Amino acid sequence: MNTKFYTCLLFILSLLMHSSCKKETEYLYKVNDVAVRQSGTTKQNTKTTTEFISIAYSDLFNANISTASLNSLSLAYSAFGDQKLIENLIIKNFLNIPGAAIPTKAAMNMNVPDFVTNTYKKFLNRVPNAFEQWNLVNIIKKDTTTTPELVYYGFMTSNEYRKY
Amino acid sequence: MSIENIKMKRRDFIKQAGLATAGTFLVPYLLPSGRLFAATGNRKANHVVFCLFAGGVRNIETIQMNDGNLMPYTLAGSKAISADILPGMTFKPPAPTGQPLQTLGTLFSEFRYALGPTGHYNGHTAAITGVYTHTNLSLKDHPPVPTVFEYYRKHSSPAKAALNAWWVSNSLGPFPALNYSIDPNYGPLYGANYIQPDSLIKHAYNVLYKPQVFSAGQKTSANEIRQFLDNNFSNQNTSTNAGVSNPLTDADNIESFILKSIAEAGTGAYKDPWGVGSLSVDMFNIFFAEKIIQQYTPELLVVNMQDVDIAHYNFTNYCDNMRRADYSLSHLWNFIQSTPGMANDTILIAAPEHGRNLTSNSFVDNYGRHALDHTGDDMSREIFCLVIGPPSVVKQNQVITAVEGQSIDIVPTIANILGFDTDIPGNYKSNMGQLLSPAFY
Repeated sequence: MNTKFYTCLLFILSLLMHSSCKKETEYLYKVNDVAVRQSGTTKQNTKTTTEFISIAYSDLFNANISTASLNSLSLAYSAFGDQKLIENLIIKNFLNIPGAAIPTKAAMNMNVPDFVTNTYKKFLNRVPNAFEQWNLVNIIKKDTTTTPELVYYGFMTSNEYRKY
Repeated sequence: MSIENIKMKRRDFIKQAGLATAGTFLVPYLLPSGRLFAATGNRKANHVVFCLFAGGVRNIETIQMNDGNLMPYTLAGSKAISADILPGMTFKPPAPTGQPLQTLGTLFSEFRYALGPTGHYNGHTAAITGVYTHTNLSLKDHPPVPTVFEYYRKHSSPAKAALNAWWVSNSLGPFPALNYSIDPNYGPLYGANYIQPDSLIKHAYNVLYKPQVFSAGQKTSANEIRQFLDNNFSNQNTSTNAGVSNPLTDADNIESFILKSIAEAGTGAYKDPWGVGSLSVDMFNIFFAEKIIQQYTPELLVVNMQDVDIAHYNFTNYCDNMRRADYSLSHLWNFIQSTPGMANDTILIAAPEHGRNLTSNSFVDNYGRHALDHTGDDMSREIFCLVIGPPSVVKQNQVITAVEGQSIDIVPTIANILGFDTDIPGNYKSNMGQLLSPAFY
């Protein structure tokens, strides 16, 4: 009886000791890099005049517009009733200022789908859906006179670019 | 319902199909106003230019000529300018050669801005909408009731493009908002092209003078890209409210006009185009209204001047600027008469938005004269209205000295001249004044 009892006790103790010595697993939690892009459907707010001009400038030049230029353009913007017309004029002027960060036509033609995706990201802060991608690539490819400036102009004068 | 009931006889089918076909052809001809046929009102003239003159002037200085005839180009009279302020008259216009404008039409010398606050924006709003305003008029919004531009574009037929309707103001602030209202039945779809030339043409040279130029083919591609983006976006969201919107062809036309004007201003061509030394802001505003007249021969153009408002601080400069405004108004009329398409077919209306107080404020100028505000006393409601035009239409050389006519009569008068007054819905017309009939045959 005693032998049996001690054998059992020894067995249980050895089990307990074995389990308590088990090496603890270390978990390391990480976050994968995810590109956060706004969906077109969530853009409900209209940029103010100042925001529109400043953002357009920094989108093209990766720099802040000078206060003097911003004031002059804001005045000009307020001074005409057809805002689209003035927006077009402002963007056309920006596109013609030396130093605007615009890819070359050769670079665009080398990989049009990538150019389209990057243009959506740059100006509309989202990636294009499959249909948008296909159609824009088509428009660019079918007309050999299409330049990156022209595509940028189309994007920067769109309704979606006016929203955030 | 049994099958028998919905069976159609062959004759009925042909009849209904015929009606449906006729409807298909007719529906596209329905006007935006919902009417099938065009406005039928007879026109007195095909063009109206309305000048808001010129920032609040008193009848004491204009009609009554207390300090002499400060408006010799507009008003008949040879009373000399008061000797004490004469040295302060820096504007030296050439002596008038023709008849003063008042002889070319009817002068309502006791016109009234009868109700509402005597503020510039209130006065402008009443004159442009035909309805008096109250103290709750917002300076940040478009007016609550339709403007004359909206009535004109909505109720004229054939439909009028915004190229035909212009609002030219000499300053920003709330004035850009007067090209259309927030009335749900009207709004930007029927608004006027608004421009403030001093900011856009004179001062934007450095930032707008050199745009990227696209060929016609490239423009088509750019439009295709933009249209695709807009269609895709507007399917999911509301489109941007961009004010008055010109069709692409008209927008291209206006853009070229603006760029040409900016370039001309940049070369200094607009510094003294009238040969009078230099152009004040008011004069430049009138000068640019003339450029619009030359370019587009609009059917309806409203232009203002505001420089006499210096009266708040300087009475003598107020008088001097009144002379500039007088010269400008005359220049405008002469320009109209030298413009093919508008000569002898234009009626010019000029009226201040309000007057100024009888009693002065505490500012005294270098010539010992006290300055004038406009805070709603009787004198600040006493103004004049001049209506001039073709002798066969407008009664010539007539002065109506009785208290007759008021600011809210101008819109119905313009509507009558351009033949759309009968098409303005009754619930809108009932808030307005009435036709200034004594001015017309």
